[in-house]
Amino acid sequence: MSLDEKFFAIKKGLLEFLVLKIVAGEKVYVADILRQLSETEFSTQEGTLYPLLSKMRREGLVDYEWKESDAGPPRKYYELTAKGREHLRETLDYWGKISGTVKNLGQK
Amino acid sequence: MNKVITINLGGTAYQLEEGGFDALRAYLDTAAARLQGNPDRDEIISDIEQAIGEKFRALLNSYKTVVTAKEVSAVLADMGPIEAEPGATAGAAATGTGTGSAAPESGATHQPGGRPKRLYRVYEGAMISGVCNGIGAYANIDPTLVRLAFVVLTIFWGAGIAVYFAMAIIVPSARSPEEKAAASGAARFTAQEFIRRARAGYYDAMKSFPDRHARREWKRRFKQEMRGWRTAFRQEASQGAASFRPHWPPPWTPGAHPGLGVALPLFSLLHGTLTIIWLCALISLLATGALFGLPLPSGIPVWVGLILLMFVFGFFAWPLKMARRAVYYHGFGGPGWTWPFIFVVDALVWLAFAAVLIWLARHYLPQAREAVHHLPAVFHEAADNVRDWWNKK
Repeated sequence: MSLDEKFFAIKKGLLEFLVLKIVAGEKVYVADILRQLSETEFSTQEGTLYPLLSKMRREGLVDYEWKESDAGPPRKYYELTAKGREHLRETLDYWGKISGTVKNLGQK
Repeated sequence: MNKVITINLGGTAYQLEEGGFDALRAYLDTAAARLQGNPDRDEIISDIEQAIGEKFRALLNSYKTVVTAKEVSAVLADMGPIEAEPGATAGAAATGTGTGSAAPESGATHQPGGRPKRLYRVYEGAMISGVCNGIGAYANIDPTLVRLAFVVLTIFWGAGIAVYFAMAIIVPSARSPEEKAAASGAARFTAQEFIRRARAGYYDAMKSFPDRHARREWKRRFKQEMRGWRTAFRQEASQGAASFRPHWPPPWTPGAHPGLGVALPLFSLLHGTLTIIWLCALISLLATGALFGLPLPSGIPVWVGLILLMFVFGFFAWPLKMARRAVYYHGFGGPGWTWPFIFVVDALVWLAFAAVLIWLARHYLPQAREAVHHLPAVFHEAADNVRDWWNKK
């Protein structure tokens, strides 16, 4: 079992966190998010991202607005809501704690 | 040389090779099935359609106007399988068929996705009063199959007609655009809906009736034929009953025999089980052209197989049905009860038993749940098979 397979479930669970981080940076549309993720270990596809974004929107973490594009029909550009920003801050704190634990455990 | 099919994705027309079209349809069908119960299903699907359209557009230029089957599969592979949300799957399983009913906070805002579905009669493309059309739209099944089901119901149980007319009276017809949208649960004219209508030969049928007279004449003849069938079957049924009656002990006073209470559910259970086995056989024959993986002997076309299957079922079900009729007849004081009434009660009882069995299977057998999940796709496939066969003739 490769490390990639071992961490499959953890990576999947972290995806929402990472999408929050990406959306926090600037207004993005789905292809932007995919491009940013594709350079990392968290590379994913539309089939996963669209349902995830719709769930996050339903939970009030992100919202979108339609913007004209130079090629083709208008696109949905996503941004964080106030609730999403709060959630991101909490998650970052929590993540800091976890990674601290991983680093320090077992060391003397 | 390949056939090309034009589709509408997010408001733009694309031309696909036929193989690519089939792949895209299968992908969207699977996506819709996976997102069952998700209040934003329609919105996600239209997002996905638009994303696919964008990828298609990147492949085309003024000299290349058709997306090949290979390119479609490449695009679909790039999209990746649609994943149901981890949180939503549990909810979807719990609420079961209650699609769209669970969208309290999202429905309040501007969003068009979680529109509740309602059963309406749909006149567009209807044959008689739009009952079958409405059921088809509601369950996302080809209306031709619903009509076929009603005809089969009528032939074997007679109650098809009664159920049909009852529904024609009770079920409201969709008149306003909102009601029409609610009939199929579709907020927008998605590619899937477009494909469904195109496949259903909806536009062809309109072409083949150039004027109102021809259409009306055809309708009249159809109704007449149905009436003829009904009387013929009723006669047959009453003859069957007449020949059965002498073998049954003379009438008791109402509800006299203690065995009746045991016999009736037993007969109903047997009849329901038989019906389900028969339905499974029918679906497998329609969808794959083989009976549970067993191919038909060469030289026997699918439609002959279908008729044979119906006869075999009728052969086994007839005694059971007659026995149950006789139980009703005697258990409820006989002569006061006329035949049509017994038809209805009989049909309701075995339908209830069949429904309970299906529910139990769905609840306790993962395979059965899977099968129910794939049913819409199987029905589409079956409709295609029947139509191909019809066109070949």
